[in-house]
Amino acid sequence: MLADFGFVGLFIIVAIAFSALLIILPVVFRYLKIVPYNPNPIKNATFECGMETIGRTWVQFNFRYYFYALIFLALDVLAVFLYPWAVELRQLGTSGFLGALVFIIVIVVGYLYAWQKKVLEWK
Amino acid sequence: MDLGLLAPEISLAATAVAVILLDLFVERKGALAIVSVIGLMVSAAFTIAMFGDPAQVSFNGTLAVDSFALFFKLLFLGIAALVILASVDYVSKFERFQGEYHALILLSALGMLLMATATELITIYVSLELASISLYILAGFLKDPKSTESSIKYLLLGATASAVLLYGMALVFGSTGTTQLGEITQQVQALGAQGVADNPALVLGIILLIAGFGFKIAAVPFQMWVPDVYEGAPTPIVAYLSVGSKAAGFAVILRVFSSAFGLPDWLSLDWGMVFAVLAAIGMTVGNVSALPQTNIKRMFGYSSIAQAGYLMVGLAAMGVASAGETIGQSTILFFLLSYSLANLGAFIAIIAITNKIDSDLIEDFSGLFKRSPLLTLGLTLCLISLIGMPPAAGFMAKFYIFGGAAQNGLLWLVIIAVLNSVVSAFYYLRVVKVMWLGEPASVEKVPSSGALRVALTITCLGVLFVGILPGFAMKAAELAAKMFGI
Repeated sequence: MLADFGFVGLFIIVAIAFSALLIILPVVFRYLKIVPYNPNPIKNATFECGMETIGRTWVQFNFRYYFYALIFLALDVLAVFLYPWAVELRQLGTSGFLGALVFIIVIVVGYLYAWQKKVLEWK
Repeated sequence: MDLGLLAPEISLAATAVAVILLDLFVERKGALAIVSVIGLMVSAAFTIAMFGDPAQVSFNGTLAVDSFALFFKLLFLGIAALVILASVDYVSKFERFQGEYHALILLSALGMLLMATATELITIYVSLELASISLYILAGFLKDPKSTESSIKYLLLGATASAVLLYGMALVFGSTGTTQLGEITQQVQALGAQGVADNPALVLGIILLIAGFGFKIAAVPFQMWVPDVYEGAPTPIVAYLSVGSKAAGFAVILRVFSSAFGLPDWLSLDWGMVFAVLAAIGMTVGNVSALPQTNIKRMFGYSSIAQAGYLMVGLAAMGVASAGETIGQSTILFFLLSYSLANLGAFIAIIAITNKIDSDLIEDFSGLFKRSPLLTLGLTLCLISLIGMPPAAGFMAKFYIFGGAAQNGLLWLVIIAVLNSVVSAFYYLRVVKVMWLGEPASVEKVPSSGALRVALTITCLGVLFVGILPGFAMKAAELAAKMFGI
C-alpha cells in the first residue's frame, strides 16, 4: 500500500523538480553568458505579426454571451446523452424511453425559462 | 429498482419544476408560496405513508428507505414549509425572482432529503452539492454588497470543503475498494486493528471526511464562514441554513459514521474522541464569541456554532458507546428536532421584527414587548429553549444528550457543556431583557402576515409540546435510531 503511494510521491517530486528546472535554466544560462542579451524594439514587440493593441487591454466584454453559453451547454449535454439512447432505444424498452423523456422535459423547462425571461432577445 | 420508494423526492422535484413554470406564466406571485407548501405537504404525505414498512435498500444499494431516513425527511420537509411560510412578507418586497426563490428552497430541500437517504459515498456527495449550491445562490439573493459578500464567502469555503470531502472519499475508496457504506464496514473489519494502523491513507480519509462534514454543521475549526454568511444573507435563508443545512450534515455524519465506521469498537472509540474534543472547543468558541455581539443575526451565527458543539456531544457518545447501543443517535435526533423548532421560531420572530424596524442590531429591539407582545413572547420562548431551560424543548434535549454522554463515561465533556450553557444564558437573556424592559423607540405595532403568524404558532407550540411531553418525540427518535444501518 505504502509502496504504491511511494510511486505517486516520486512522481510529485520529479514533477516539481522538472518545473523548477525549466524556470531556473534560462536564468542560469543568462548568467553563464550562454544566452546573448541584446534587445531591440522589434524583438521586444508583443506580437511577431499583427496589430499592436491601442489603449488598455483590460476592457469589458459583453456579459450577455454567457447566457448563450449556458443554454448551449444544456442542449449540448442533452444531445450527448440522446445519441447513445437513440441507438439503443429498442433494447431499453419503455422505462428507457420514459427516463429520457423526463430528462428532455427538464431541459425544455430550462429552455422555456430562458425564453420567457427574454434571454434570447438581443437588445 | 422501485420508483415508489422515491415518491417523496420525485414529487418534490416535480413541485420545484411546477413552481418555475408557474412563475413564468402567472402574474399573482402569491400562488407560488401556496403551490410550494402544497408540494411539500404531498411529499410529506408520501413519507408518512412509508412509515412502518420494513427498511429497504434500492438502486443498487445507493438509497436506503429506513425509519431513520423517513424521520429526517419529515424534519426537512417541515423546515422548508416553515421557512416558505415565514418568508411570505419578506419575499413580497422582491421585485423579481420570487419564483426562483421558492424553487431553490425546494431544490435544496430535495438535496437534503436525498442526503438523509443516501448510503453510498458518491450519492451522498451529489445530494450534498444539490443542497449546497441552491443555498449559495439563496445567500446572495438580496444583491446588496453584504449579501453578495456572504454568498461568495459561502461558495468559496463550501467549494473548498467539498474538495476536502471528495479527497477523503477518494482515500476511503482507495483503501477499501468500495463506496457502499455497508461494504466499507466489512472491509474495515477485515483489515483489523493492525491493518488500519498500517494504512495511513484510510485514517487520513476518515479525518478528511470529518473535516468536510464539519463544514456543513459549522463545527470548529471549520466555522469561519458562519458569522459573515449569517449576517449578510436574507434572514429567512439564514433560518433555513442554520437548521436545514445543519440537520442534513448531521444526518449524513450519523449515517456514515455509524454504518461505515461504527464497527469495530476501537475504531469508533477513536473518532468518538475526535468529536468529543471538537465538541468541547466548538461550544466554548461559539459561546464566548457570541457574548460581545451587537448584531442579532451574527449572534445567532455564533450560537449555532455552540449548538453544533452540543450536538457533537451526542456524536462523541455514539462513538464511545458499545456496539448495538443507539443512545447517541436517538439523543441527537431528539436534539435536532427541538433545536430546529426553537431556532426556526426565533428566526421567524426576528424576520417579522427586522422587517418593521429595518435593523439587525439588538439595541433596536428595545421595548418590543410594548409594540408587539405576542411576537416578543414567541421569541422569548424560543430563546429560553435555546438556553435549555424548562418548560421548553431545549431543556429535555440537553438533558437527554448530556445524560447519554455521561452514561458512556464522558463526564468531563458534560461538565464543559453545562458550564457553556450557563455562559450562553447570558447573551440569550440579554436579548430578552432588552425586549421586555427597554424603552420602545416608537409605539408603532409590528405588522406580520397570517402565514408568518401560523409558522410562529406552529414552532412555539412544537417547542412547548416537545418540552412538556417529550415521550412521543423521544419514542420517534429511538425508533428512527434503532432501524439504523442495514
